[in-house]
Amino acid sequence: MGAGKHAGKILILAEDACAYPGADATGQGHMSYSADTYILRVKASVLFPEQFYLDCFSKGIAGIIIMSCGAETPYPGAYEALARRIDRVYVLMKERGLDIRRLRLTAICTVCTRAFLKEVQQMQDLVCQLGAPGSEAAAAPAGAAKALQEQ
Amino acid sequence: MGSRQNRRFDALVLGGGIAGLEAALNLAEQNFAVAVVEKDASIGGKMIRLSKVFPTLDCSSCITTPKMAAAAHHPNIALFTYCEMQTLERRGEDLVAGILQKSRYVDVEKCIGCRQCEYQCPVLVPDAEQGGFAARKAIYIPFSNAIPQKALIDTDNCILCGRCAKVCPTQAVNYFEQPEEFHLTAAAAVIATGFEAIPLEDKVQYGQGRIPNVITALQMERLLAPHGPYNRVLRPYDGMEPDSIAFIQCAGSRDQSLGVPYCSRVCCMYAIKEAMLLSGALPLADIAIYYMDIRAFGKGYEQFYQTAQAMGVNFVKGKAAYLDPGENGAVRVRYESQEATGGVQVAEHDLVVLSLGLVPAWDPQGRCLLSTGGDKFIKTVKPKTAPTLTDLEGVFVAGAAAGPKDIVDSIAEAGAAAMEASRYLSKQ
Amino acid sequence: MAQKKKPALAPEPTPGGKVGVYVCHCGGNISDAVDVEQVCAQARRVPGVVVARDQMFMCSDPGQEMIIEDLKSGLVDRVVVASCSPSLHESTFRNALLRAGANPYVYEHANLREQVSWVHHGPEATAKATRLVAAAAAKAARLKPLEPIRVEVQPRALVIGGGVAGMKAALELAARGQAVVLVEKSPFLGGQVAQLQELAPEGETAAAVISELAGAVLGHPAVTVYTCAQVEGFEGYIGNFKLKVVRKPPLGATYADRLEKLSKSGQGLGEYVPFVGVMPATIPESPEDFDLEAGVVVLATGMRPYQPRPGEYAYKNFPEVVTLPEFIRLQAEAEGEGDTLMLHGRPIRGAALIHCVGSRQIPGIHAENEGGYLNEYCSRTCCAATLYAANLIRDRYPQTKIFDFYRDIRTYGRGQEELYTQAAASQVVFFRFEAGEEPQVLKNPDPQGPPLLVQVKDVLTFGEELEVPVDLVVLAVGQEPNNIAGLVQQMKIPIGADRFLQEVHPKLRPVEMSVAGILLAGTCQAPFDVGETCAAAGAAAVKAAAILARGFVELDPFVAEVDLSKCTGTGACVEACLADGALSLVDLEVAGQKVRRARVNPVMCLGCGACVAVCPENAINVQGWTLKQFESMVDLIVSDEYLEGA
Repeated sequence: MGAGKHAGKILILAEDACAYPGADATGQGHMSYSADTYILRVKASVLFPEQFYLDCFSKGIAGIIIMSCGAETPYPGAYEALARRIDRVYVLMKERGLDIRRLRLTAICTVCTRAFLKEVQQMQDLVCQLGAPGSEAAAAPAGAAKALQEQ
Repeated sequence: MGSRQNRRFDALVLGGGIAGLEAALNLAEQNFAVAVVEKDASIGGKMIRLSKVFPTLDCSSCITTPKMAAAAHHPNIALFTYCEMQTLERRGEDLVAGILQKSRYVDVEKCIGCRQCEYQCPVLVPDAEQGGFAARKAIYIPFSNAIPQKALIDTDNCILCGRCAKVCPTQAVNYFEQPEEFHLTAAAAVIATGFEAIPLEDKVQYGQGRIPNVITALQMERLLAPHGPYNRVLRPYDGMEPDSIAFIQCAGSRDQSLGVPYCSRVCCMYAIKEAMLLSGALPLADIAIYYMDIRAFGKGYEQFYQTAQAMGVNFVKGKAAYLDPGENGAVRVRYESQEATGGVQVAEHDLVVLSLGLVPAWDPQGRCLLSTGGDKFIKTVKPKTAPTLTDLEGVFVAGAAAGPKDIVDSIAEAGAAAMEASRYLSKQ
Repeated sequence: MAQKKKPALAPEPTPGGKVGVYVCHCGGNISDAVDVEQVCAQARRVPGVVVARDQMFMCSDPGQEMIIEDLKSGLVDRVVVASCSPSLHESTFRNALLRAGANPYVYEHANLREQVSWVHHGPEATAKATRLVAAAAAKAARLKPLEPIRVEVQPRALVIGGGVAGMKAALELAARGQAVVLVEKSPFLGGQVAQLQELAPEGETAAAVISELAGAVLGHPAVTVYTCAQVEGFEGYIGNFKLKVVRKPPLGATYADRLEKLSKSGQGLGEYVPFVGVMPATIPESPEDFDLEAGVVVLATGMRPYQPRPGEYAYKNFPEVVTLPEFIRLQAEAEGEGDTLMLHGRPIRGAALIHCVGSRQIPGIHAENEGGYLNEYCSRTCCAATLYAANLIRDRYPQTKIFDFYRDIRTYGRGQEELYTQAAASQVVFFRFEAGEEPQVLKNPDPQGPPLLVQVKDVLTFGEELEVPVDLVVLAVGQEPNNIAGLVQQMKIPIGADRFLQEVHPKLRPVEMSVAGILLAGTCQAPFDVGETCAAAGAAAVKAAAILARGFVELDPFVAEVDLSKCTGTGACVEACLADGALSLVDLEVAGQKVRRARVNPVMCLGCGACVAVCPENAINVQGWTLKQFESMVDLIVSDEYLEGA
């Protein structure tokens, strides 16, 4: 997996009430997108701890898109809690020299096919540009690079 | 499909729109067996065709599809789509409905909804589900989130080339399928047949559908939908991005000349909603709403109206009297102003949206003994204490079948009708 | 990522299941883009997978039979179906598992059509399908059989509020065979409607409506009515609410005028008295309380008319300025005949009706009340009620002129536009004003003329400043929710910015509160007229009936579960929990030691997993969606182990 088209895998956390059907709608429209995307069907993304995201990157996932229901989540308060957690993940990513654009929090509705495609395309472009997770650390401060090496 | 002939249920729901589905689910949840009879090839009614809904601006499909799926998967609900109810009569304890299953020319038991037939079909037809702004094939699944996901053939346009039958992996296409008549028997029934927009052809003042760039509010819903025909808002005549859009309120409502003296109740709010969505899609466009009274009466509606005003939607007090074609595809609106010095004024807009009023979608006359009111909607006999009661024993009415109504009020009435029906069923 | 790195393919705990993988061709829809045989061959190499088969249509009878056969023979005890979207056939295959006598939750779905074959082409489609199937198998191996959570339901509904909404809801439930307890804080049934006379637009009388509902409620053996009663204790959850009801004499002279009217009327208990309602029982002499168990609670606490501040439209400054409910009562008690309305012996030659008093208030334009609130909403019913009153006066007293001051006429409902047309035809004079340019009510400087003068800048005459001398000003006041702060606090239920009770979702769950088992009916939710209130009450009743009729509630088993072997009682999960009451810390005895541990109330748990993310020990998980399952899925997605060399 070098640079170019197959820059790395993108993990999509698709919430069951909105984004997962949204991805289905994209499929029903036969709208193509990168095959390097892997959709996990989740009830609410608030379930995942900070470490889950960091582990994904260390396992080789190049980008993660959280496709939530936004404020329309069936779990009152879940979106706000999720947004706070992602802010903390960003801090941890920075400490580890990971480009925080590799993790994106967004809201996708059941018929938001174009928004779905746009998100995937943007992440695809980004991971093409950045390469494998950790490769940006070369340009990052020495401390961060060290943290990565310790894994 | 012979097995489903002449089946017996506890309750029959006529209409698979949001009111019918809500009524059916409420009955089924009490363990009553329910048949839902829907005239279209998919359930979901008008609501599934909308972009977003007021006043929350939720995506309409996101709210409708869970109810559609719940009804489709409910063990106590049987769906009869593409079926017309031709008669409904009381025979002693029973209500007997004569149903006509129209031909899909596709065996729904075999069809897996894969759309191979659609891709192969060489015929392109304007897609009414997309306001006529996009094309579909002569064999087609009605729309992306239709339930059931089953194809049907539009025989008016099919050229019988045979490609669909050849490509179908399950041999589901049957050009010789015949319509089928059967009976459904139940003890109670809920009429939830909804509404249609007033036909534009009737309205001389608004050009009878012949002025370019005069569209209906339902067409605007499609232009605004996230899965709409153009991916953005363009005017249909020449594909131009409109800079100035006008909504004409009470187009065919509160209008004796059309025989529709009543208020259609939802047009103010849907026009405000569409105006808000437009100002998001086209931030630089001028948006005007010509109105007599803004009727923002429901929960959160007045606040929604105030927000639209704050967003810069221009509310013009004045009844639009006449529309004419203008220069370069523009539309001239002549209206009686209630503002400034008043009098007849003329304004030009790139695109004009008619907020058409609502008329009943189903007429019981000749089919059953249900009475209608002067407004031709189903008559209710105790509008205060039992608002869903009709003059036919064991038959209840919900939603826009008993007069124009928004989604929230239709859902409430559907619950009430289901309650009355379940009371009636438990008495038997 | 300082965490110790796990060996890539030694997932823990060791998967216990015997996984069967079933891949569907979907008649070419999948197999045209995905090499299904290849996917099966690779799947057989995934740990835990004992068999992988393909079928032209897995959803067909032969496909389902194949799965059932493997389950029955004991070959497999976990199932992965790789086919179209789970939204189409997940329930089909769970049912197949049930038919095989297996637990329906040892099932995982891989979406190879909508999310692979329809969107990707060439070898990458097969590679992606292979990874997704391997990931699904890894999750399946870690699935446990689950049972739906079953909550027994106390066979009783408690309805709070004895107005139209409460009575209608109680009646519907009783007619459906359910026991109902109705509590009403005043001594009377009938609520605000009993303070009216004729109801717009058809003119049914309040007497008929309340007599019908109250008569039926009091006559129904399944309904127990407690007046002068309030809920003062509340705990529990859906199916099992425990409430304390207190009956006590009303404070001071709260209902003195109504009680006096009642005694003057000569009517007895259970009979309707205009502007009073129906008093079903005597007032308790001393407080008494009792406990009550109920499966569901219906809130029907209603509304009260907006009370204008002194000086608002000169209210209280002049006795000739009254609210619409006050006018209705005055008019009902008006004596004498003739073609001019007489009030208190004074002829009313001209009356002004002013709309939107206490409604449609705009921040920055209108003044807030003493509580700091503005009523920004439309009160929905006042336009029709006002026009009905106007028509009634014009009809009975042709010499009484009516001047109607409005912002927008909102006669939206069936039969209402006719009221407007009729008013115009019977020479009601309309004036239209803009928000912020409300009419002014002044003392008429002309001593010869009527006592009051209404000044307005009229839109209908293009902004002309007009003055109308009148004998009476009627303020069309809106609706405000009754103050139920006590209930709101005890039940932990939300109210909206408009101070009405806030439903979960106006369309998806319009009569449900966020606390399961608490429903709302009528004008405690939003302004409604009587017909709409009865519809709302019916909608609430039908939800209650579904819960009560079954006798139990079955909830998804996808709720949090604590692993006591790992829990150290940090309480982090309790803090993170988004559903009040779903998680708590309890004292337990483990091996003779007293310890604090987290405990889930599965009935209250929403299954969102907010707790999972914060547990330092991963001692809490959502059943069927555990963190380990997700991690093992990611492991298989990144692994290249199963891509080549079958």
